[in-house]
Amino acid sequence: MKKLFIALLSFSFVLITSVAQAVEESYPFDDAKQQKIFGELVEELRCPKCQNQNIADSNAMVAIDLKNKTYELVKQGQSKDQVIDFMVQRYGQFVHYDPPINMVTIWLWLVPIVIALALVLFVLKKGRREKESTGVDAESLEQAQALIDKFESKGKS
Amino acid sequence: MKNYKLLIPIVAFLLVSIFLYKGLYSDPTNIENANLAKPFPQFQLADLMDENKLYTKQDLLGEYTLINVWGTWCVTCRVELPFMTQLRQQGIKIVGVYYDNAAEAAFGELDVRNTRKDVTQMLAQLGNPFQFNIYDEKRDLSLDLGVTGAPESFLIDDKGTIIAHRRGAIDHRVWQNEFAPLFPSASGSQQSLEQN
Repeated sequence: MKKLFIALLSFSFVLITSVAQAVEESYPFDDAKQQKIFGELVEELRCPKCQNQNIADSNAMVAIDLKNKTYELVKQGQSKDQVIDFMVQRYGQFVHYDPPINMVTIWLWLVPIVIALALVLFVLKKGRREKESTGVDAESLEQAQALIDKFESKGKS
Repeated sequence: MKNYKLLIPIVAFLLVSIFLYKGLYSDPTNIENANLAKPFPQFQLADLMDENKLYTKQDLLGEYTLINVWGTWCVTCRVELPFMTQLRQQGIKIVGVYYDNAAEAAFGELDVRNTRKDVTQMLAQLGNPFQFNIYDEKRDLSLDLGVTGAPESFLIDDKGTIIAHRRGAIDHRVWQNEFAPLFPSASGSQQSLEQN
């Protein structure tokens, strides 16, 4: 089982690196820094035609065009943010996999936190309430204690 | 008090159900074009039929114009050609942006000649809605417009602002609902323009 797992892991690693290499081969850079920016961008930019693929993985025509444009802009010496701005201006936030936090997107982070906090509070409050009152009145407790005493004394004798 | 607390999970469940139910019927490809309500991008491109004839944004100004991004290779484009030809006969100015499919093909004389032949043949067969066709050779204009494929259409006003966008074919229903009300000659013209 462990061997199979390792084999699968190394196989997927080979796949991932070969894809990355394939992208890099057709877009040569002299500058290692620019190459790094380009590699990050094609992973982060989303193909507008496909539902869930970045432009590195997609071979749709529009993805190829965006890749070529990204290459052109990075070669011109534009920074990562400049290229992302360029794409977002034309294709909207949909094109970027890392959207900015604003009034609409903040809820994606807030809602789970709020729910988790509410659950923790609920459990704590419920636990405390159950500890405080066992729901049995004093009279019954006395009766129970009396019964226990009675059985204990019986056992001794 | 106890009843009120019981309501919370029920209401929460209902809200989540409504949210997910809506998602079931939403179209994930229906993303608003980022260029809507912005000026049409600048460009300088040749005519599809004559590489010596150059067009710029100035050629699109002065009246309401429908810009149609299309290609002979695109099947849906064929469907909308006859309807758009009717629109031209009604006096609508329609300009084509030719979106070439040969993504990696080097630009060569023979390539364009083949495209021209295909275009002439197709327009003769299905009707020619276009005043002229801009040859978006490297698809730079399409990229500036945020085009994701063909066909896509943009309506621009006389000053060159994009006031409507459609991904996919234009038919009678789409035209009546989304484009016709935006024309100044239509009823309540100014109002419907301001709303958009």
